[in-house]
Amino acid sequence: MAAIPALLPSTAFRDELRRRGGESAARCYQCATCSSVCELAPAARPFPRKQMLLAQWGMADQLAADPAVWLCHQCNDCTVRCPRDARPGDVLGAVRSLAIEKLAFPGFLGRLVGAARLTWPLLLALPVLFWVALLGLAGRLTPPAGLEAGWAYDALVPHSFIYGVFFPVAGWVILASWVAGRRFWTALGASGPRSGSFLANLMPALVEVATHKRFGSCGAARPRKLGHLTLLWGFVGAAVTSGLLIVGMYIQHLPMPLALDHPYKILGNVSAGLLIVGAAILVGNRLGDRKAAGASSAFDTFFLSVVVLVIATGMVVELARLAHAPAFALSSYILHLGFVMSLFLTFPYSKFAHMLYRTLAMVHARMAGLEKK
Amino acid sequence: MQRIGVFLCSGCGIGEALDVAALEKAAREEKAAHRAVHPCLCSPEGVATIRAAIDDGSVDGVLIAACSPRAKVEEFTFDPLKVAVERVPLREQAVWCQPPNHEDTQLLADDLLRMGIAKLAKMSLPVPFSAEISDTVLVVGGGVAGLEAARAAAAAGHPVVLVEASATLGGRMAGLTHLLPEGPPYDVLHPNRIAELLAKIQSDDRVTVYTSAKIQHIAGQPGQFAVTISTPQGERSFVAGAIVQATGARPYDASKLPHLGYGSSPNVITSAQLDEMLARGSLQRPGDGALPRRILFVQCAGSRDPQHLPYCSAECCGTTLRQVATIHQRHPDIETAVVYRDMRTPGQLERFYLAVQSQPNTLLTRGEVERVNGNGRGPLHVHLRESLLGNDVTLEADLVVLAVGMVPNAADGEAVRALHDAKVRAEKGDSETQRRDAAALAEQLAHHEGTEILHLEYRQGPDMPVLKYGFPDSHFICFPYETRRTGIYAAGTVRAPMDPPQAAEDGWGAAMKAIQCIEAAKRGAAVHPRAGDLGMPDFFLQRCTQCKRCTEECPFGTLNEDVKGTPQLNPLRCRRCGICMGACPERIISFPDYGVDRISAMIKAMSVPEEFEEKPRIVALMCENDALPALDQAAAQRQQWSPWIRVIPLRCLGSMNIVWIADALSRGIDGLLLVGCKSGDDYQCHYVRGSQLAQTRLGNVQETLTRLALEPARIKVVELSHHEFSRIPEIFNEFSAEIEGLGANPMKGF
Repeated sequence: MAAIPALLPSTAFRDELRRRGGESAARCYQCATCSSVCELAPAARPFPRKQMLLAQWGMADQLAADPAVWLCHQCNDCTVRCPRDARPGDVLGAVRSLAIEKLAFPGFLGRLVGAARLTWPLLLALPVLFWVALLGLAGRLTPPAGLEAGWAYDALVPHSFIYGVFFPVAGWVILASWVAGRRFWTALGASGPRSGSFLANLMPALVEVATHKRFGSCGAARPRKLGHLTLLWGFVGAAVTSGLLIVGMYIQHLPMPLALDHPYKILGNVSAGLLIVGAAILVGNRLGDRKAAGASSAFDTFFLSVVVLVIATGMVVELARLAHAPAFALSSYILHLGFVMSLFLTFPYSKFAHMLYRTLAMVHARMAGLEKK
Repeated sequence: MQRIGVFLCSGCGIGEALDVAALEKAAREEKAAHRAVHPCLCSPEGVATIRAAIDDGSVDGVLIAACSPRAKVEEFTFDPLKVAVERVPLREQAVWCQPPNHEDTQLLADDLLRMGIAKLAKMSLPVPFSAEISDTVLVVGGGVAGLEAARAAAAAGHPVVLVEASATLGGRMAGLTHLLPEGPPYDVLHPNRIAELLAKIQSDDRVTVYTSAKIQHIAGQPGQFAVTISTPQGERSFVAGAIVQATGARPYDASKLPHLGYGSSPNVITSAQLDEMLARGSLQRPGDGALPRRILFVQCAGSRDPQHLPYCSAECCGTTLRQVATIHQRHPDIETAVVYRDMRTPGQLERFYLAVQSQPNTLLTRGEVERVNGNGRGPLHVHLRESLLGNDVTLEADLVVLAVGMVPNAADGEAVRALHDAKVRAEKGDSETQRRDAAALAEQLAHHEGTEILHLEYRQGPDMPVLKYGFPDSHFICFPYETRRTGIYAAGTVRAPMDPPQAAEDGWGAAMKAIQCIEAAKRGAAVHPRAGDLGMPDFFLQRCTQCKRCTEECPFGTLNEDVKGTPQLNPLRCRRCGICMGACPERIISFPDYGVDRISAMIKAMSVPEEFEEKPRIVALMCENDALPALDQAAAQRQQWSPWIRVIPLRCLGSMNIVWIADALSRGIDGLLLVGCKSGDDYQCHYVRGSQLAQTRLGNVQETLTRLALEPARIKVVELSHHEFSRIPEIFNEFSAEIEGLGANPMKGF
């Protein structure tokens, strides 16, 4: 008998969905045009029609454990073709943000970031203020006098400060992601049997992520695919550069700052270029055809804004060093470090977490035989 | 007619395919007083030659041997009181469907011409009709359809009498505060403006309104209905020209739906009860008088269900949407859920559906409600089978609204009549068995006792005949306002389930038909489908044997009976189909331009080869409403078929008199093909049951054929729709082949 409680759908959930831009779910009349036009949906378990119904009925638990929610890349082919303008792409976007909040560890941080519409000043300012306070306590809020041209940022903020802050931050983020990821993985497991090893299936999933093969079959969102892929590789490049710099500093003992024609520097700047181009495409896309691009909820905008701020301040930081303007460089650097910290700390709770959940869902899909044939 | 003019056209390829001079010679042989051949008869010059012959008195019957009577109608219409016209379709029935300049084609054309002349010779002119005709339109029922019908008729200058059974006007709409959107953007409720309509009606001095009034008796015919009504002020009598029946519908009896909790919990109500609550402005759970928090609407409660109402009532989806929107407007915190099988929101209502769906606190979802459990205390549990979630689901609500369908406020006139007859037979029957059977039938029909609404003095019953769901039979498929009682038009929810805007439109439509009928009555002309036909039926009553076949078979209740059973003609009720003429064994019924002897003359006029010589003769009696237009269309496509067929148009296959079959067979005709319209529940017959009657009559003939050692297969009935014109060659050729297979009519030559 009743698989759900003897109640009308939860009003709370529907309100929450509305706040996140998923109110159009109410317009759906289950014609399944969306499921038939979706290029990503597996034939055996099509989406997003069923997810629209679950959203209408307010069945949050089912949605949080549904791989389809994450297999959706918000191509918006469905939204463009929906005869009733129920915007399944946007609804699933809203559902994902709710799922991130529901799976978050600890829960209150999930709710804090989930309410980015209201809390964004706090989320951006707190890390910046943290750095101001830290450097203030260390008496480093002004650049040291008599800096010679060719100074490195180590002279303004010693590397030990960076490591001292970011290693624990990274540790915490990994822990929080691990707990939330496990919750998600367990919930997914309840939806059907899986076979094969996690690692064996992780590799092809990662290859897919790296190539955006799935994303490529989207119709309406093709411009977004290019931006997203560029941005992804920009981040990868930046991360590799950071690793190479540690090697360069402590093993190769290279003098800092590196010359502009040093391979590491070139890699770093190329990555920065990719980040700028990728972010520009994504921002431009959102400002274009609203329907194909999808609605912009505060949750989405917050994440994209932090990314843009990190890239912008990073650029300014490099230019300030080259222009030999230490005071300006320091203030830009504080902002940059604050934004990077915000980006890292909100990873498990912001839209950034899609990296984690979508990858897991793709591995699950492989193991549960939900691949599109 | 005495002086027949034969006008042959040689245009449209007729002159190239036929020997027109030989045809003219045939006309001379048939003693046509005037003959002319014109290369383009429908041209102004061609028509002028016909007019000249009419005007100088040299002809009183015009035979136009050219194209189908459905072509060039305007050109070939002359004063019907001055001249009779017969059209011989050489183009469609010989030139287009047969090889040109062939001996058999010429023979066919020759036959068609001689048959036309024979028919025309037997025709007479209609007698001018005059009678006092009332302009008054009687509207029965003061709901939205009736009010709009009254408004429409009054606006056209007609006096209107509006009779309403209840104490107030407005019907079910009167109490509603809001209505579904009536204009763009179709997504918000509109205020109910019925008060304005009522004010307009009440201030219009052409409209006389009687409330708390009932029809006592209606006698007579269109233009001359003698109406008696009872009112609180006493009896009133007046004459009406036409009647609009807008008696509306009532909600289906929800006490027949105990599985949906009606009766076991006071908190399960019908949509009509909810409307009453909303009209009072007090939304509450009947159980405890508290404001409900969660209201669940069950769509199709008892509708589209063979156990209850098998049909869709068309307005319940809209009503529920209106109620959900009204509730949300007044109490935004109340949660509403609608469980539907499928929402039916035709036209712009779809936009309102979307708007209601988008309301907060509202859920519309598909599902079958299996049962509703609960009593006056505590919540109700609504069990859904086959929810879209793929499993059974139980929903909780503290008020459940059943969207029940509508049942027409109509009486089954034929059943009431049958009940009356059965009661008489049960008392005065000839034998014990007859009396017992009649008593059993009366028992069966007892629930029709006292259901009369119109109290018509019609031999076939006091109200309109109904369809299988109890709605008055008012849809001649394509002609929604037509009914089987000339001059009486059903409108609004009594005619078919519909919503208020449709009912309003229906009121106007019915009023227009009523006016049309009054205008036709003034000229003695028929209404649909032989609109404008001035020929009245003529009964030679001296030879009537009171067999009552005509009074029983007339689909329109035209004929009453006197005590002996002699038919009493009400000519203004007549639609000129000739079904009575086909029914009459004494052949005493005829029309000026249609009659048993006319068709017999046609059969006798055609050539029948003495020897079979592989040249059989087949007569095709074809309905002029569907079968003949289909034939024209097939011919226009230059389809080819057997040259042995001679087509005789009938007004309705039901007007086929058995004597024609006897005439044809005794003349040596080898086969008879009868082509009529579709019969059955979805009949397409313009006269309701022509094909059916023809089949019945033929059933009797087949036995006789067998007795005469004639193969029953020589007569075949085919039902054909207008759109099935491509079947014509196949039908003709197959029957020809069958007849050739049977060989010559053994009566040939006798």
